[in-house]
Amino acid sequence: MSVRDWPIKRKLTAILVVISGLVLLLTSAAFAGYQYWSLRQATRDALSVRGRIIAANSTASLAFSNEADARELLSALRADPHIVAAVLYDKAGHVFAAYPADLAGNAVPAAPGPDGYRFERRRLIGFQPVEEAGSQRLGTLYLASDLEAVYDTLRLSVVIGLAVMGVALLAAYLLSMVLQGTISQPILALAETAKAVSTRQDYSVRAPKLGEDELGALTDAFNQMLGRIEDQNRALRASQDELQRYASELERRVEERTHELQERNESLRRNAAELLAANTELDAFAYSVSHDLRAPLRSIDGFSQVLLEDYAAQLDEAGRQSLHRVRAASQRMGTLIDDLLKLARVTRAEMRTEDVDLSGMARDIAAELQRATPERQVEFAIAAGLKARGDARLLRVALDNLLRNGWKYTARRPGARVEFASVDANGGQAFMVRDNGAGFDMKYADKLFGVFQRLHSAAEFEGTGVGLATVRRIINRHGGRIWAEGAVDQGATFYFTL
Amino acid sequence: MAFLRVTTALLLVCAARLGAQTGKASEAQVKAVFLFNFAQFVDWPPTAFPDTETPFVIGVLGADPFQGFLDQTVRGEQLRGRAFQVRRYRSVEEIKTCHILFISGPTGDRLDEITASLKNRPILTVGDDDGFAERGGMIRFVTDRSRIRLQINPQAAEAAHLTISSKLLRVAEVITPVGR
Repeated sequence: MSVRDWPIKRKLTAILVVISGLVLLLTSAAFAGYQYWSLRQATRDALSVRGRIIAANSTASLAFSNEADARELLSALRADPHIVAAVLYDKAGHVFAAYPADLAGNAVPAAPGPDGYRFERRRLIGFQPVEEAGSQRLGTLYLASDLEAVYDTLRLSVVIGLAVMGVALLAAYLLSMVLQGTISQPILALAETAKAVSTRQDYSVRAPKLGEDELGALTDAFNQMLGRIEDQNRALRASQDELQRYASELERRVEERTHELQERNESLRRNAAELLAANTELDAFAYSVSHDLRAPLRSIDGFSQVLLEDYAAQLDEAGRQSLHRVRAASQRMGTLIDDLLKLARVTRAEMRTEDVDLSGMARDIAAELQRATPERQVEFAIAAGLKARGDARLLRVALDNLLRNGWKYTARRPGARVEFASVDANGGQAFMVRDNGAGFDMKYADKLFGVFQRLHSAAEFEGTGVGLATVRRIINRHGGRIWAEGAVDQGATFYFTL
Repeated sequence: MAFLRVTTALLLVCAARLGAQTGKASEAQVKAVFLFNFAQFVDWPPTAFPDTETPFVIGVLGADPFQGFLDQTVRGEQLRGRAFQVRRYRSVEEIKTCHILFISGPTGDRLDEITASLKNRPILTVGDDDGFAERGGMIRFVTDRSRIRLQINPQAAEAAHLTISSKLLRVAEVITPVGR
């Protein structure tokens, strides 16, 4: 567990212990350093005092070459176990007397160094001039002391320092354990409350306030926040309830509407069925009427012919003319009836879906037209390879009507041209029949496909007004769509999809 | 020139060391140094120095055995601002200002005369005759197996108002004169 994740209690304790430990350590180090320094000074002072005393006492020994006396003087140093060597040099710098007596020759300088006391390789050494007051120098005293006294004291103070530090750290630890509570207790209480809030979603709990310090302020703020959340929650719940009410109300209404719609749909379906029945009845009626009309019409035409052929002599010219008109009218009516029957058949015929070669079909129709009226010069431009799926018989009727239409309305146009091709219409395939004939006014475009709706007089272009209605019915039965574009004397273009 | 001077200095140092190592400074030399050193371990009464210019006088009575070492020893030396002077006397009568007097040779009965004539004047008497200290002399050089030892008669010195340093007494043999 990293320090960051420690519980706050432990962090506080650790901080206190670390700080007090650091302070103690620095203090002890400073004290030990000062002690070491002052001990060295004291040791040096002590040695220099001792050196001065011995030097003062050994003047006569040197002055009068009494080595025994000098040795005796030096041997007094035995009382101080830290003095490791002492040597008296005479005026010429030769060793005059040494302590201890068995001192190895190489353990001391062969000749005196510069006067003074200094630390040298864990030793304190000193060269003390030996001179009788106010007179010339008699020699030099060399003293060497180990620093064990310093080190011993230092060691002792380190041990004492460590002991004190241990006790102090323990005390700091125990104290911090007690004192950190004043800081950690409110925080822990806060954390406890926050946890309770987050686990139980209970915003009614409040953190206990343990003081008027910043943590107290924090606790107040936290409690206030909890209160606000509680209020907001209440408001939210209220608005949720309201929303719920609205939703159920809405649901109820939708259900009502759906029900109404279903009822309406039902009645519509009923109406449609009724309409369909009526339509079928109408178709049947139209068919039977047309069919039944043919017989009397044939009689009118036939007897008119008999009259013209057998009784022409008894009729004057006006009578003959009238009969001719009767015949023409009855023949036109026959055509009309045939067309109506055809239209009815288209509606009633059964669909047989198969692959149909539209290009071939168009070529056949064009050839037929050409054969029927060889004196007309019309250019047919039929794109190759146009195919579709549908009822071949019905599609032939539709295509025949469209091409025949183009043929018919280009009658007065030199350089007549009828085109059959495929175009792209809104991403799908559409077929197109275009002529450069009489055309039409676009404002009548919606009347083109109605039964008996004609934009030109019969005198201008013969026709019954049933053809395009038939075409539309066929295209509709194939699930397709048909529309036209054109302008007067600019030709017309019919598009259809399948 | 500089080279020559350095070489000479080196030669001199070497010679000095050689002499030191043999350790055998001559007896006369040692005695001359001792005489000079006495000046530092003995206190004279103020009357011994009438004025500040009075030199410190080391006298030799009789034949001079020091072969010039005494002059050499005191040359350029000073004691409390006083220069040293070596004077040689043939008789006691010649002695005027003197602080240390070396009485050379066997003295015999002559010593009594000399001490009597000095009459407790503040003069430190030094000799090397047998019984010199017992018979009224103050300090005697005793040659003992090539070492020079000291015998001191403090009573004689006291009588002459001289104070002998306890340090000096410690390195010497203290003699109490007989029959006095």
